[in-house]
Amino acid sequence: MPRYGFVIDLKRCYGCYSCQVACKAANHTPQGIDWARCVPTETGKFPAALRQMVPLICQQCAEPACMTVCPTGATTQDENGIVHVDKDLCMGCKSCIMACPYGARQTVDEWQAYFPDAEGDMDPYESYAKARWEEKNGYGMATKCDYCMDRVKEGRQPACVESCPAKARHFGDLEDPEDEVSILIRRERGFQLNPEFGTDPSCYYLPPR
Amino acid sequence: MIPNFKAQSKWGWLVAAYLFLAGLGAGAYVVGVVASYLGSDWSGIAKVGICLGFPCVTVGCVFLILDLGTPVNFWRAAMRPNTSWIARGTIIISIFMILSFIHVVSWPWPSDAPAEFTGASRCLGAVGAIFAFGTMIYTGILLAASRPIAFWSTAMLPLLFLVSALSTGIMAVVLIASFGSGNEGPIHSLAMFDIPLLILEVFVLGFFLQATHRVPESRASAQLVLNGSVAPLFWLGVAVLGLAVPLILDLLGAYALEGSWAKAAAILASLCGIIGGLILRQVVLSGGIHAPLRAGRFEIALPIV
Repeated sequence: MPRYGFVIDLKRCYGCYSCQVACKAANHTPQGIDWARCVPTETGKFPAALRQMVPLICQQCAEPACMTVCPTGATTQDENGIVHVDKDLCMGCKSCIMACPYGARQTVDEWQAYFPDAEGDMDPYESYAKARWEEKNGYGMATKCDYCMDRVKEGRQPACVESCPAKARHFGDLEDPEDEVSILIRRERGFQLNPEFGTDPSCYYLPPR
Repeated sequence: MIPNFKAQSKWGWLVAAYLFLAGLGAGAYVVGVVASYLGSDWSGIAKVGICLGFPCVTVGCVFLILDLGTPVNFWRAAMRPNTSWIARGTIIISIFMILSFIHVVSWPWPSDAPAEFTGASRCLGAVGAIFAFGTMIYTGILLAASRPIAFWSTAMLPLLFLVSALSTGIMAVVLIASFGSGNEGPIHSLAMFDIPLLILEVFVLGFFLQATHRVPESRASAQLVLNGSVAPLFWLGVAVLGLAVPLILDLLGAYALEGSWAKAAAILASLCGIIGGLILRQVVLSGGIHAPLRAGRFEIALPIV
């Protein structure tokens, strides 16, 4: 069984936000939900200051903190390492939002129209997106990135990987030592964010220049 | 670089009201059970305490259910007792609610006569008190289970909420019992017993804040509470209203005031202390700050808006 993982190359990311927009388009997420995010950070003081874009997604931890605190059993982990929320079981207690070290869990209360017309109605494209969101997720319950499992099952790459013009994102199988992600982690000293929380994330970052 | 820390905003007043009422109800119930062992003088106190338990905890649970994103699913909360503290806490609170409800309705109602505590009632009280302690401690463990929020994730928080729950429970019983026609002596003694508890709460609160020194995000929490946007709520609501005023009034009632003045002091002290208990929960909630994400030298503050 594969263990799906991500490698995000910090030295290649130039912060175009393609991943964030592609995720929205592919998963029909409402305002306030960004499963894939690109966050600008900086360190140091002038003249030794540095800027860096850090893309964030669900880290699909091997030991998920969100699953440990989930009281209803709505959070489950597949054999391939992907953590899911069952929208019919989640009661929206938000304890996973408190327990996730990576801010991957998000929730909204309602669909706010992106581009309402004069009467406040949505165009047909957005109505379709809203219907798809309500079919697969919903309001009040916790939602999260699942590494675009629907696309992966069709043999495609996750939307954020496919759209990245800088080729800073790689998706693959961490269990397979010959896979691109495993080779990159070995060769370029991939590291996990905040390993001190002991959740063993499946998302690795390659160091910035 | 130090990131711009922001406190969590997903748990607010509704959760604070739940933490507060669950603690107060369970605390009052324990006071009532202990009083039921102390002879007929204390039977008024015992009745008030035991009767306060069930309604307060129930109203608190209603507040928690209102805070849920999908309240229709609230009954699923106990499905994973093997991993999650919310599930275990739900079971503890449910057992407490069932026991305290049986305890209340097993008396003949309405009854002005002093309640008689039979062996069965005392057994029920003893078992109920165990689950009442569980309820009080669990309200702290609920928050302490969030590991990335270092301000909550300390062993002091369950202790702080336990002491505050017992103290607000005593004050609620004193408040209600003062308006009854019962024996004044036990009410006075109970108000006096709150003095050491309030002093203990000051120390526990101090240690709780002192325990924040280890990581930047919990130091930021302490800054926020002592010196930042939550500071007015903390200093006026918790320090003055919740601790200093009840302590001074209870001390005055014990050593300086007599008769109806002492009674008025006890009532006012209880009111202030109870409001302070609610504000304490809100202060702890609004001080919760997530650990920043670290990618090498770069840090990202959570939550990202």
